[in-house]
Amino acid sequence: MKQRPIGYLFIAPATIHLLLFAWIPIAYAAYLSLFKWDLLKDSKPFIGLKNYADTLQDQAFWNAMWNSTRYTLVSVPVGMVVALFVALMINQKLRGITLFRTLYYIPAISSGVAVSMLWIYVYLPEHGLINTILMRFGQNIDFLSHPAWAMWALVFMSIWTGLGPRMILFLAGLIAIPTSLYEAADLDGSTPWKTFWHVTLPMLVPTTFFVLVTSTISAFQIFTPVYMMTRGGPEGTTDVVGYHIYSEAWEKFHVGLASAKSFILLLAILAVAYWQFRAMKSQLEGYSTTVS
Amino acid sequence: MKHFVRSLTLLVLAMVGGCSTITGDGRTVVRVATWGGAGDDSEFAKVEREIFAEFERQNPDIDIRLELIPGSQEYVRKMLLNFIARSEPEVMLLDASSAAVFVDNGVLKDLTPIIAKDQSFDLDAYFPNVVDIARRGDQVYAIPKDFTPMVLYYNRRLFDAAGVGYPKDHWTYEEFLDAAKRLTDRSRGVYGFKFANWMPGWITWIWNAGGDVLNAEGTMSSGAFDSPETQRGVEFLATLMKEGVSPSLSESAAMGVDLFTQGQAAMEISGHWALIGYAAAPKGSDGKPLLAMDDVGVAPVPTQLSSSQTVMYESGWAIGKHCKRVDEAWRFVKYMTSEEVQRKYARLGLAVSARRDVAEEIAAKDPREAKFFEIVPSARPPWGAKVEKYNPVETIGQNMMDSVLKSGKPIPEALRHAANQVDKEFAK
Repeated sequence: MKQRPIGYLFIAPATIHLLLFAWIPIAYAAYLSLFKWDLLKDSKPFIGLKNYADTLQDQAFWNAMWNSTRYTLVSVPVGMVVALFVALMINQKLRGITLFRTLYYIPAISSGVAVSMLWIYVYLPEHGLINTILMRFGQNIDFLSHPAWAMWALVFMSIWTGLGPRMILFLAGLIAIPTSLYEAADLDGSTPWKTFWHVTLPMLVPTTFFVLVTSTISAFQIFTPVYMMTRGGPEGTTDVVGYHIYSEAWEKFHVGLASAKSFILLLAILAVAYWQFRAMKSQLEGYSTTVS
Repeated sequence: MKHFVRSLTLLVLAMVGGCSTITGDGRTVVRVATWGGAGDDSEFAKVEREIFAEFERQNPDIDIRLELIPGSQEYVRKMLLNFIARSEPEVMLLDASSAAVFVDNGVLKDLTPIIAKDQSFDLDAYFPNVVDIARRGDQVYAIPKDFTPMVLYYNRRLFDAAGVGYPKDHWTYEEFLDAAKRLTDRSRGVYGFKFANWMPGWITWIWNAGGDVLNAEGTMSSGAFDSPETQRGVEFLATLMKEGVSPSLSESAAMGVDLFTQGQAAMEISGHWALIGYAAAPKGSDGKPLLAMDDVGVAPVPTQLSSSQTVMYESGWAIGKHCKRVDEAWRFVKYMTSEEVQRKYARLGLAVSARRDVAEEIAAKDPREAKFFEIVPSARPPWGAKVEKYNPVETIGQNMMDSVLKSGKPIPEALRHAANQVDKEFAK
């Protein structure tokens, strides 16, 4: 087909938006990361790669990276299994099923701040939803202030908030599986479990892969619940990398250093995504020509 | 359509200008920022609203726009970001705990020339050591509003019941612990002491053990935060919980009530503001308050040094660097720190007035206030008044305390870690 200049007009809005709100800020952050750029100071000297070198030796930064990693390692797989389970449940022809689909999706469209407030009440010591029940057994756990619990409280909450989008994706994947495959399995005398294992699951690989990559990226960027509920505490156990960078930039005003940290985070996320792509590549082969 | 375009233009102009400085009726807008209050229905908020309204009555050409930002950390951050964007409020309440970051970064206007020109204003009317918080050389950056030293409160009823003598002016840690043990009666849910797990609640324990979080110049933490003296201070706090004379942190969290106000803790360390809560103590089954105001005594915090040291929290009124309406802003600052307004605030009992005349007047009438007055000279400002990079020290310090008191981390290790972290922050 011949190229027409009018095409540029169509992609212009998205391109301009991306340029203004993504590419230019990213480029500017790269520039800032080479300076000792303290917002409150007039002098902003060029220091080359010192911010990067300092970051590599910054214990607090690596603590934050580790916190993000353990958050991701638990919340993503568990969240995905739960979402797949709910998607399977909801992919049934029952009366009122759309109501359930809507209910499960509501957390995803609620404001992160409002959801966090809600969960603060759920986790409240003594009078919180969970502790009201625990108190009957003589237990009372201050989930958000105890170093051993706070991170898992956030993980548990993320499974609930992340359920909607993941469930919808799995549901789309389930609906796209040709019924002929199920009919064939049926004719071969397959049990429901075997059908799930040998038909449903393999056919969901591309969806699973997509959910895995996007969930991992967003898990690494978690910010709102931490900001609202724990402020990185207690004892830095929930100081995830997104919050850590925010606090470096907007609480301590070390914008140059915070930019350098952002780029190191970017590299880390790229590396993980690349590794995921590599690992899944063999699995994905053949799916571009799905039976239709 | 024309109307719409005009509104749009006005809206854009308002956004570009940051704020409109003249109201529709020709009054000058003065933005005033504080960290809360005035919004709720408390007695304090009502009186404060009346104080602001009275200013507008006396100054019909000025429109006061309050900006209430709850949370002291949030407040500091917002004010500094406003300053960076050159749109800080004309008038700001300055907290001693974060004064240095404002004063030393040129966020505030030097008030000295204004004071020199204004014959009707007398800086000597205020406690000099309180004015010092925002003084750098000859320059003064804020007029103090009020302040409070941290003191030891005690409940006379519980002391009498246990037959223990009231706290003395110079009480050692050993004497304190001994009294606290005798006051504790866990079968009745009574504790000798209620430890408050925040920096104002524990810094005096470290100071009075001879330790500190920073060296004398406020430039370094290693050698101070990890010193044997600081260690003894923290150990003492851990002992209080181990001995059960103060509820442990998890017990405190589980109880969820203010033990001292409930008449279930014989002592606690707090500021003047605590008196407001005490006066509103809940009533028991006999209809009497669980904590009677007449039973509340004030003493200096215990010490291992030759004399007790305490910390003084303060707030003062300051004017933003980019303020164009200096005259109007100054009139407001002067009004807020005037004898008339200070007397109204003093009656509310949040803090001690920074004006000597008002503070003396109150102290003469009330022995408890007189005790505060006695403690004032031994109070020094928090580090944040002098050290610009102090803010992270508070977080690091609290993490240290939590790691010891909640997770049982060995104290020397926790302190070394904290000192290292502070020095790294200072090096940034």
